[in-house]
Amino acid sequence: MRSRAKREKTPQAASPRWRMLLQIFGTFFKMGCFTFGSGLSILLQLEEEYVDKRKLLTSEDVLELTTVGKSVPGVMITNVSMLVGYQLAGIPGGILAVFGLTLPAVFILSLVTYFYSAIKSNVWFACAMRGVNAAVVAIIASTVWNMGKDALKDKIAVLICGAAFLLCMFTDVSNILMIICGVLLALLWMGAKALTERKGGRS
Amino acid sequence: MIYLQLFISFVKIGFTSFGGMSMVPVIMEEMGSHGWMTAEDISNLIAIAEMTPGSLGVNCATFAGNQTAGFFGGLVAVLGVLSPALTLTLAVAIFFTKFKKSPVMQGILRVVKPICVAMILGVLVTLFRSNILPAAGIDLFALGIAVLCFVLLRTKKCSIPAVIGIAAALGVVCYGVFPII
Repeated sequence: MRSRAKREKTPQAASPRWRMLLQIFGTFFKMGCFTFGSGLSILLQLEEEYVDKRKLLTSEDVLELTTVGKSVPGVMITNVSMLVGYQLAGIPGGILAVFGLTLPAVFILSLVTYFYSAIKSNVWFACAMRGVNAAVVAIIASTVWNMGKDALKDKIAVLICGAAFLLCMFTDVSNILMIICGVLLALLWMGAKALTERKGGRS
Repeated sequence: MIYLQLFISFVKIGFTSFGGMSMVPVIMEEMGSHGWMTAEDISNLIAIAEMTPGSLGVNCATFAGNQTAGFFGGLVAVLGVLSPALTLTLAVAIFFTKFKKSPVMQGILRVVKPICVAMILGVLVTLFRSNILPAAGIDLFALGIAVLCFVLLRTKKCSIPAVIGIAAALGVVCYGVFPII
């Protein structure tokens, strides 16, 4: 199962392993510093660095890893980092990629929080934030629009979404419980489908 | 033991989020139930997380943790939010070739994604109420700014940091300069 990781490491065999690890950490740290918004810009940088420049991965590899990274829970881009890091240098590679990517954000956000607390009571800042909070409503609306286009492709999906929204609005069912129920529902659904298909095949 | 509570909260948040903003509803719920943050704080959190480099999820966790329990709170929250990547995704990476062909995750996502959309719609309603329909009635300035920003995002393809900048400037004019005149 690790043959794939080993195979793709061979071009780098000449340089020592720790150098590869250091390089992974450095690259992901740099990406963590300069990317805004969703993970998409990080993916472009990833391709540039490892497909075009270093030729350690192919475009298909990146696409495959991204698809899988998206389907695992958690922060999508840290999942992709773990998968790419592992492909390049095994478990330490994956862990260093994740921490390299997140450390800049931790430092920057800690600074921002510090200033935010200090400036929070300033009158002008409060005015600016009232405007920004109105914009946040628009940003979320726009995000829902995009997500909806992607997630609500058939009637069943629309039905699930509507039912979940009603639960959200009129009951105090927790979000976590809803997700867990969704996962169980999906598993049951797939299980039932597999069973009927097997029966259908026999008869 | 606030660090442990924060860590557990963010492990829950990490494992139940599936990309982008789907983390926000669960953060709102966890922060609210512990009394750590209000709806307004969450709104500020989204704005700040969108304006700073890095992914939304990590930024939200750092900011929320920092606000709740200082620098180490932020660190603990990020470790919590990274827990799926460091455990589940690592396992997936090791069994990658097998996992790639499995339809199970795709099937789960077909159900979970619509639920995430519904949850974010719920957040949208909550924030619309607190930011645009405050206790005093309807805030016309806020409504105007929100509509303008939505149009900029959808039709002009403005970037989110740019829209936030415009909204901040409009906020200063509408709520700061305008009442003085």
